[in-house]
Amino acid sequence: MLEVRHLTKVYDDGTVALKDVSFTVEDGEFLVVIGLSGSGKSTLLRCINRLIDPTEGEIIWNGVDITKLQGEELRKMRRQIGMIFQHFNLVRRSTVITNVLSGRLGYTPQWKSLFGQFTREDKEKAMQALRRLGIEDQAHKLARELSGGQQQRVGVARALMQEPKMILADEPVASLDPVLAHSIMQYLEMLNQEDGLTVICSLHYLDLVQRYATRVIGLRDGRLVYQGSREDIRAMTDEEFKNIYGEEAERVSGGLQGELQSTRGGEA
Amino acid sequence: MSKIGHQPEGVRPPSLVPPPLAALFSLLIPGLGQVLARSIRRGLIIFFSYITILGLMIWRFRLAAPRDTGWLNIFKKALKLDNLLLSATILFALLLLWIAWDAYQIARHRERTPVGVFFMIILVFFALGWQIGQIDLVAMVAQMDEAGPPLARVLWPWEKAIEREEETVQAFADIQVPCVGEPPAVNQVSGDEPTLVATPTCGELSTQGGEPGTTLHLEGYNFSPDNPVAIKWKDPLGNVFRQRQSGEYVVVTPDADGHFAIDIVMPYRLLPPSADEPFYIWKVFGEQVASVGPAHLSKDFKLVVEKMIETIFIGMMATFFGVILAVPVSFIAARNLMSASPITLVIYYLMRGILNVIRSIEPLIWAIIAVIVVGLGPFAGILALTLHSIAALGKLYSEAIESIDPGPIEAIQATGATWLQTVVYAVIPQIIPPFVSFTIYRWDINIRMSTVIGFVGGGGIGFLLAQYIRLLDYRSAGMAVWFIAITVAILDYVSAEIRARFV
Repeated sequence: MLEVRHLTKVYDDGTVALKDVSFTVEDGEFLVVIGLSGSGKSTLLRCINRLIDPTEGEIIWNGVDITKLQGEELRKMRRQIGMIFQHFNLVRRSTVITNVLSGRLGYTPQWKSLFGQFTREDKEKAMQALRRLGIEDQAHKLARELSGGQQQRVGVARALMQEPKMILADEPVASLDPVLAHSIMQYLEMLNQEDGLTVICSLHYLDLVQRYATRVIGLRDGRLVYQGSREDIRAMTDEEFKNIYGEEAERVSGGLQGELQSTRGGEA
Repeated sequence: MSKIGHQPEGVRPPSLVPPPLAALFSLLIPGLGQVLARSIRRGLIIFFSYITILGLMIWRFRLAAPRDTGWLNIFKKALKLDNLLLSATILFALLLLWIAWDAYQIARHRERTPVGVFFMIILVFFALGWQIGQIDLVAMVAQMDEAGPPLARVLWPWEKAIEREEETVQAFADIQVPCVGEPPAVNQVSGDEPTLVATPTCGELSTQGGEPGTTLHLEGYNFSPDNPVAIKWKDPLGNVFRQRQSGEYVVVTPDADGHFAIDIVMPYRLLPPSADEPFYIWKVFGEQVASVGPAHLSKDFKLVVEKMIETIFIGMMATFFGVILAVPVSFIAARNLMSASPITLVIYYLMRGILNVIRSIEPLIWAIIAVIVVGLGPFAGILALTLHSIAALGKLYSEAIESIDPGPIEAIQATGATWLQTVVYAVIPQIIPPFVSFTIYRWDINIRMSTVIGFVGGGGIGFLLAQYIRLLDYRSAGMAVWFIAITVAILDYVSAEIRARFV
């Protein structure tokens, strides 16, 4: 169980990215975080695996306060949390297999990994992960030679190599077209349902939220403004919606079907 | 959505003065009319351009007529001496009129922004540049003729690449001065020995007063055909000097049989008087340098090759040292790595400053300094190029580090990797290709630079080339130029290939 308590993050330049955010995630949940660009979704996800150090608050995961971890302990925690990024964050000039194997770095002795020495089992496991995602034949290509959808699958495979208990996905489909978006989301759903991983995912498209989320939280200007179940979001009122996306937001195509993007754009 | 007082793009507020007055003001003080017509920036640009041109004109006038005093005298003299200055002056006067016209236009038409005046300013600068640069296309064409032979030698120097052993062939004839008693016997041609036959075998020297001496008829036999023969004298004291005829050295070329014939007037020569001897024996002789033995590569050719190899190694060693030292420097000069604390930021600025200063000084200047420190030779060249390479590569590398994508770093950190693992898996793969590319580029530049660094004593082929040019040995210089061109061309190709593979 992941428990976020009174989480606050203030950046050096004074920007308040998160303000007193509290929620809990049960093991095996598929939690979706919604909100405008700049509402604090990315910061929240990065606080959970400490790519960003929160200013205040606690994150308790299975009884351990993640915010207090340092050094070796921090790395051991991180290797149990896989992360998937909007821009895939692959090393574009390395091969696909190297990118996937880098997911094992947390388990590999440092001196061995410096010379690219991974065990036979790790290599086997990497091929399996690629097979599972249907891109086995791309293993020895450079990452930059792959299409966007394929690159994101490599990103998922890299996260899988960590044998994670939880997956953080920061807008995993925002750079992909709707068809590819569904295929990546289905992989996440598969991991969630077959492997029982907890998934915390930020999303922009409301139909994806309705289709995949078991629970939803909404952020606005760094504050938690919405919490609801899958049923709740289907029955979401205009008021609640505007509360998350602001007064200027309008529903696309009248209802809650279809893509929903804020009228104010910008990257997260 | 319109606001009160809103004006479309490019329309100025109305002029403060009527157009003719603006023109008049601009005639008095160029640009003033434009300023009064509320086109302030335009007016200032015109004013400062005009002042600059005026200053340059005054300077050039004084330079053209340095000895004259009084403005009018200087002006008249300079215009008379220098046609270019005359045209520049005419353009300058036209410019003033144009500025006035421009002021008129600006004041009258609020929406128009004519650009003609700026073209006129550029034209005047161009005319002045022509005069200051002493550009003389006529001389360039006229002197092409004289430059022809040396240029031909540079373009096709390979006759100098091969040489044969040389042997000097001499054939003497005795001449008695003055004609008293029995003159020496006339030489007889025997076998195939080179022989010089002089008739008569006695005579008088020319005198200081201009009285010509005896004319001798010389015939040469068995000389090497088609190979010039120099006619020389050996006086009774053993001094050798060349025969001159109307100011030129006498040189004859034997025909296909090795025979030649020529008449010479005995030269004037002052000798210390000697009481005892009634006469002296002078010797006239033909001297020929003949090539013998098999052809082999010349000394100069070998020297050029040796120095070319030295040059390539200067460039290589400089690149090698440059890279080794530039890598740590580049990390210190990368803003994204150094912005963590104020102290590191200060180090960053300091490093960047030092790099900029070193880089802004040309390698040739560094070579001159290095020669002072370590003396002439390749080491000075290596030092100079290394220093410049560190600065140039340090900047390029640090920019490559600054432009790396932080995404992969974040992703690798998220897997639980250590700092070192993150560097090896996320940072190094991103900076290797640009580093390799910049390094090869620098290697290319260094070898190019090392060919000229010798001009200031930094070793390598430049040293040799400078020497050959000073000795007017255009053939050897040509060989050096050819080798530089070939090496640089090969290098260009190789470095382009390597870069295409890596990047």
